[in-house]
Amino acid sequence: MRKEVILKHLGYVLFINGVFLLVSFLIAFMLNESSSTAFFFSSLICLVFGIFPFIFVEKIEGLSFEEGLAIVVYGWITTCLVGMLPYLMWGGEFSFINAWFESVSGFTTTGSTILNDIEGLPKSILFYRSATHWIGGIGIILFVLLILPQSKGQKMAIYNLEISSLSKMNFRFKAKKIVRVLALVYVSLTLLETVILMMFGMNFFDAINHSFATIATGGFSTKNMSIAYFNNVGIEIVIMVFMVLSGIHFGLIFGTIMWNKQNIFKSSIVRAFVIVLISGILIVTLNLYFEGYYSLWESLRYASFQVISLGTTTGFATVDTAHWPMLAIIVLIYFTIQCAMAGSTSGGLKFDRIFLFFKFLKRQLQLIKHPHGVFKVTVDGNRIDEKLELQTLSFIVIYITTFFITTIVLASLNIDLMTAFSASIATIGNVGPGFENVSSLGNFASIPVVGKFVLTLNMLLGRLEIFNVIALFMVKY
Amino acid sequence: MNKTKTVVLNKKLKLKIFSSFMLLTILLAAAGTVSILEFRKLSSVVNDIINDNYKSIEASKRMVEALERIDSGVLLLTLGEWIEGRKTIEYGDSLFLNAFHYAKNNITEDQEVTTIKSIELSYRNFQEKFNKPIVGTDREGNIAWYKENTHKWFLVVKRDVNQLMTINQSNMYVEAYQLRDKSTRAMMPGIVSIIAALIFSLLLNYFVSKYFISPLVELSTSIEDFRPGDIRLKCDIKSDDELKRLEDSINGLIQNITKYNR
Repeated sequence: MRKEVILKHLGYVLFINGVFLLVSFLIAFMLNESSSTAFFFSSLICLVFGIFPFIFVEKIEGLSFEEGLAIVVYGWITTCLVGMLPYLMWGGEFSFINAWFESVSGFTTTGSTILNDIEGLPKSILFYRSATHWIGGIGIILFVLLILPQSKGQKMAIYNLEISSLSKMNFRFKAKKIVRVLALVYVSLTLLETVILMMFGMNFFDAINHSFATIATGGFSTKNMSIAYFNNVGIEIVIMVFMVLSGIHFGLIFGTIMWNKQNIFKSSIVRAFVIVLISGILIVTLNLYFEGYYSLWESLRYASFQVISLGTTTGFATVDTAHWPMLAIIVLIYFTIQCAMAGSTSGGLKFDRIFLFFKFLKRQLQLIKHPHGVFKVTVDGNRIDEKLELQTLSFIVIYITTFFITTIVLASLNIDLMTAFSASIATIGNVGPGFENVSSLGNFASIPVVGKFVLTLNMLLGRLEIFNVIALFMVKY
Repeated sequence: MNKTKTVVLNKKLKLKIFSSFMLLTILLAAAGTVSILEFRKLSSVVNDIINDNYKSIEASKRMVEALERIDSGVLLLTLGEWIEGRKTIEYGDSLFLNAFHYAKNNITEDQEVTTIKSIELSYRNFQEKFNKPIVGTDREGNIAWYKENTHKWFLVVKRDVNQLMTINQSNMYVEAYQLRDKSTRAMMPGIVSIIAALIFSLLLNYFVSKYFISPLVELSTSIEDFRPGDIRLKCDIKSDDELKRLEDSINGLIQNITKYNR
């Protein structure tokens, strides 16, 4: 593994961060905010360290899989480290661990926050928080844009890492085209949502910030009450639509726009994903209504938003779910674990694995009935090989093991079981809010320092897919 | 043609080293500038606390003291102590007006404007009461009159002055609290640049070792390993700089000597 190659690509990552920090600095400077020096200096650090490797490292030829792996994992960690600089330098509620937590939560598109008073922050910091989501989301595309043209033989290396090998199934474009497709879909969706939110009465600043957070399936809001602040059904519907779109494979969305063969209407995974979401909404709606929490209309309104928000790993909220009936909470916990589709900006377990899991289960039951039968597992005509089956099942096992370990660690810090469990699944799934003390309108401020650090590790594992992190540390240098 | 190429090549290593140190210089210079600016902001906050709030608090305290003197002067007059009473009132009045004048010219918060107007109005009413003749009139010895007229207004003015003091104390607390953040902001560029400079040095060390030292070692090893009959050095420097040129020159020299020996 060539260290200089990794350093050069980390330079790209830092440079991109530096540009966004520079934009935040300009906002702070124009509004004469106290965060201007923090952004100026952070931006300078990123730009200097971004340019530095380019002085020495000349043209790079080829890129191995291990190098791609290292670039993605170290790139994310470096981004999170430099991302905490403006928070740390500005101060306020941002202690060292809080700055790290907010930065990791932003870049991994988790959306959990440690802030008690979001509206008290300067606008430039609010913008940067949302931008971290957007950078994290588009990170997939940018890595591919910059690295793939140079990689030889391993053209899909980074792509595989970032949007998981499962996403290849529905996606048969060539790598270079994928980059353009994803970038175009990503930017277009962001702009479109911003415009529509403004049409429904949101100001430009809130609209762009919420669009950043929606398209990246993040969840950072500019308001303490999240989307509940606006109390506007129109805004909620727009955000719900874009949350669902952001939770679907971006290539399929593009395929649908271009009327290609591969589109969201023909994908059985998308169909299953939407059916599961609708079923979840119905169960929660009826539970809320019959338990006497809200009227039927309000039950449907709140249930739809919360189920879609957690089911797509976004994490926005229109109501505090902490006191909802147990059945509704269990359904929401399921969606927190399930996560959205591979090929979207969501992290965590991903719906595709759950889908495959049930297919494998069905085949297993058929084998019990007909021990000598030959049963193939197929998805939209594509046969799933045994390697992918093993990968999927072992990923599910290691995923569940990881959040159970995190729950035990948090519980040992005197955190109640529901908070510990929901915080663990919400962070490893890159969802954001949990229940009890870390509920949808609450925050993670009360979690002890060690707990916050463990949760940030969860977020990184969820974002980078646990196997990739393990594989990197098993690679011999 | 050859001369031009030499100039370009000569610049390569020099440019790399110069650019590296320039980046480090920019980083440290920015850290220094940002720290200076933040410390200036810090000193301006301290200055604001002293000038804007602390001095107004002191003026309020002097006003309260003056009001108490006036009140006791009125009481002395009510008791028939004309000389002592007038003297106390005159001193108190002058002390109050002096402090009030200072507070009026040191308005820094919006809330202070209405409070100052309120003090001015209530003190004028208070003045009307205590400037009336007392000794030798039916007011002398009339404690009920004192209580219902002058003392009542004394309490009103005192309440307004205390409000002015509270406004300034609250602002002083807020500003002092912000000092913590401002001092962090002043310190952080220094701390961050120390860590950044350390990482920068480690990276520079890696790059110098990888791109300068290693090729030199490789070159010197291949010269040591050179045996008669070889037509070129057994090394291949990848970079496009003076070190590559040195390798090419040595290989050229070997070829010339080989040709000459034949």
